[in-house]
Amino acid sequence: MIPSEEYMLSLIGNRFPGGKRTIDRWENYLLTDCTTSPQLADGLVHPIALFHIPIQGVQTSIAELFEIGRVEGAGSVGLDGYDWEFFQPIREGVEYSCEGQILEVERLYTDSGSMYDRFVFAIELSDQEGELAARATCFWRLRRGKVEH
Amino acid sequence: MNIEVGNEIPSLDIPSVDPQRMKTMAALLRDPYPIHWDAEGNEQMGIKGKVVNQGPLNLSYVVNMLMNWQGQDCIRRLTVRFTGWVLGGDTLTAHGTVISVDNANDELLAKCEVWLERDGERLLEGEAVVAITD
Repeated sequence: MIPSEEYMLSLIGNRFPGGKRTIDRWENYLLTDCTTSPQLADGLVHPIALFHIPIQGVQTSIAELFEIGRVEGAGSVGLDGYDWEFFQPIREGVEYSCEGQILEVERLYTDSGSMYDRFVFAIELSDQEGELAARATCFWRLRRGKVEH
Repeated sequence: MNIEVGNEIPSLDIPSVDPQRMKTMAALLRDPYPIHWDAEGNEQMGIKGKVVNQGPLNLSYVVNMLMNWQGQDCIRRLTVRFTGWVLGGDTLTAHGTVISVDNANDELLAKCEVWLERDGERLLEGEAVVAITD
């Protein structure tokens, strides 16, 4: 069932619960291995952690974001892009505070008439001194299929 | 090494995207989306027998290229668009070109056009800001 545009627009500004997240050695090791890169030095976390660490750090999940956006099934979610800013290196063993919100939602149509919702959320990570460490903005496409409009 | 506008970043080849790594990645991300591990279930998307690589892994090949070039803590910003699926078994190459060089916050920063391609088709493209350390 396609969620109403009113419901989707009501998501704008909703804040995630927020919380803290520490990246362990084992998960950075496996993450880095997935990228085919050699392991990084000095406890540096592979930069692509800026996808899942912020999501988990604000106490949500990919599954919950799918529920919030009311999408399910293969092909229902597309990844449009990222804007990731790094203000300091992200390191293993550091407890980061994570805060974020849903920034934008917009109902749009492709040239072929398929409806989708552009869904944008942003999460900031701060270190133990309260200094901003990174900001991750993610742009998703929640596909609704071909509909009359 | 003197970095100038127009310089090409040494490219990075990915000979074959490994579906097994997608499974580990799905577990790390706690990603329930089956397109990354259920090859048979992808029939309805017209790619039966294939799995779709996670977006962060697509980006990782570009990131690894940049880290090979200017060091492991060189990345300051990544702004990218995903323009196509990467599938298990794909052969890819990450590329980049310097489009500007500026001083900011006591750092020399290179803004670079970056992209990931398969047989000349761009599957990811965007910009990266990289601290010049070399």
